[in-house]
Amino acid sequence: MSAPIVIIGASHGGVQLAASLRQLGCEDKIILYSAEDVLPYHRPPLSKAFLSGEKDLDQILLRGPAFYEDHGIDLRLSDPVTSIDLTTRRLAARSGVQNFSRLILATGSKARELKAPGSDLQNIFTLRSLGDVLRLKQAMLDARDIVIIGGGFIGLEFASTAAKLGKNVTVIEARERLLMRALPASVGDFLRDYHAGHNVQFHFNANFAEFEGADGKLHAIRLADGTRIKADMALVGIGGEADLALLAPLGLNMIAGGIEVDEFGRTSIEDVYALGDVAASANMLVNEPMRLESVQNAVDQAKAVAAHMLGQDAPAPVVPWFWTDQYDLKVQMAGLSRPGAVQTIRGDVEGNAFSVLETMDGRLVALFSINRAADHMAARRLIAEGAPLDMNLAADASVPLMKAVAKP
Amino acid sequence: MSGTVTIFFETPQGLREVGAKIGASVMETAVMNNVSGIEAECGGACICATCHVYTDKVPQELLQPMSSEEDDMLDMATAERRSTSRLSCQLRVTAELENTVFIIPESQF
Ligand SMILES: Cc1cc2nc3c(=O)[nH]c(=O)nc-3n(C[C@H](O)[C@H](O)[C@H](O)COP(=O)(O)OP(=O)(O)OC[C@H]3O[C@@H](n4cnc5c(N)ncnc54)[C@H](O)[C@@H]3O)c2cc1C
Ligand code: FES
Repeated sequence: MSAPIVIIGASHGGVQLAASLRQLGCEDKIILYSAEDVLPYHRPPLSKAFLSGEKDLDQILLRGPAFYEDHGIDLRLSDPVTSIDLTTRRLAARSGVQNFSRLILATGSKARELKAPGSDLQNIFTLRSLGDVLRLKQAMLDARDIVIIGGGFIGLEFASTAAKLGKNVTVIEARERLLMRALPASVGDFLRDYHAGHNVQFHFNANFAEFEGADGKLHAIRLADGTRIKADMALVGIGGEADLALLAPLGLNMIAGGIEVDEFGRTSIEDVYALGDVAASANMLVNEPMRLESVQNAVDQAKAVAAHMLGQDAPAPVVPWFWTDQYDLKVQMAGLSRPGAVQTIRGDVEGNAFSVLETMDGRLVALFSINRAADHMAARRLIAEGAPLDMNLAADASVPLMKAVAKP
Repeated sequence: MSGTVTIFFETPQGLREVGAKIGASVMETAVMNNVSGIEAECGGACICATCHVYTDKVPQELLQPMSSEEDDMLDMATAERRSTSRLSCQLRVTAELENTVFIIPESQF
């Protein structure tokens, strides 16, 4: 019998891969290593419904407990892989040495740390895993003044939860507006104003200097310009980076902060694949390797890897999509924001229901919607089809977006 | 938000009986009980439509009303939309759902 297929990392990407392999008929032994001590779970609710307490762990599991056994997936919890030898095709994990026929790296990303004076004080957190939420939850509930360093998606979701709890929330952002790479300015500014309407304070162009405290307790944070902001809890949300500690010595090609893979998830070394947050690849919209940190990307890459491993046809490429929930806003993104794209607004910005279209040569490349799910779903199709739009119709929110395709 | 009821999922393989926690969603119930055909890629964020079910066999007054968002998503689900189509992540389990049957579209397998 051949050595097992080994997947490192049991989250959106790793679990989907194991599921897809079985669904496509793979009968090899599959081992799924997890560094975490709980069944694999959905990560997005960590900064949303799980953080707020609306959902408990049972409600956010990726698959029920019986799934792994029923599908013959050997899920090894609390079993981090500590070293890999690609020549002998063996790895060492906490539970011991394991050989493999094919290896899939799905180790995801980790929260970037803020190394600054005072960062060893209590009540300074990052938010990436279930364990992180369990560590910070009580501090959040007990806090009066919360400072969030970094106005990214996780920081803003945390801000909305904390603001709803009535905390004094301040967001520190290094750049001049929110989410400058991911969102058009109009959407970033809309989110800023919406948060401000819930009493969240912002400091833009802010250079973080230090955490201040006494007796191990956080009291404030200080910016480089001397501004001091009271804080009894701080959340550092300055982005994620691929978790490469284990992988860097393997000699795989790296690019754009991740492991370089092709459309099948193949790395530069035979029988070694990578997928999800840790992998960098071109996608159907951008023809150069990039890392995408999204559930959709991890899931669809896993499906492509499974098909390739079993010699089956690759699934059709999928338009990247993403969402974030803040207060009662459903923010949905299809495609990827591109410099130089033409922006068109459709809908009612004041009424909190609008979309921003990004087009190039009259074709939709991205759409950002607030409380307009129909636009989002239509955009996924229109971007995939690359159909030219009649921009007069596309700008008219009373016309379904699917009907805005230009007549030849 | 305590207690369980019995609900059923009708799949091409037959009927599956499961214990459903009151307060959880019908999607979460399917996932917890390893019912196939409900992929729930977005985990209940109402943005993937992979948790589509038909509710022909459920008294409609027992189901939460449909939001405009769910309505929009259902238009784009892979399986054919019917008048009884719902996203199971938007349906809460209540005591009154005891012994009801949710049908999983065949194309989700
Ligand atoms: C708080 C939060 C909110 C988010 N919200 C959204 C959202 O709304 N929408 C969206 O699309 N995306 C969201 N994301 C991003 C999304 O969760 C990620 O893109 C996705 O989880 C990536 O999946 P992955 O499988 O590549 O890796 P990860 O989910 O990062 O998982 C990697 C796993 O590998 C494990 N691992 C690492 N090294 C080892 C080792 N040596 N041995 C064993 N195991 C190891 C890790 O412990 C981890 O469990 C959010 C992320 C976070 C943290
Ligand atoms: S789980 Fe994604 S829409 Fe229901």
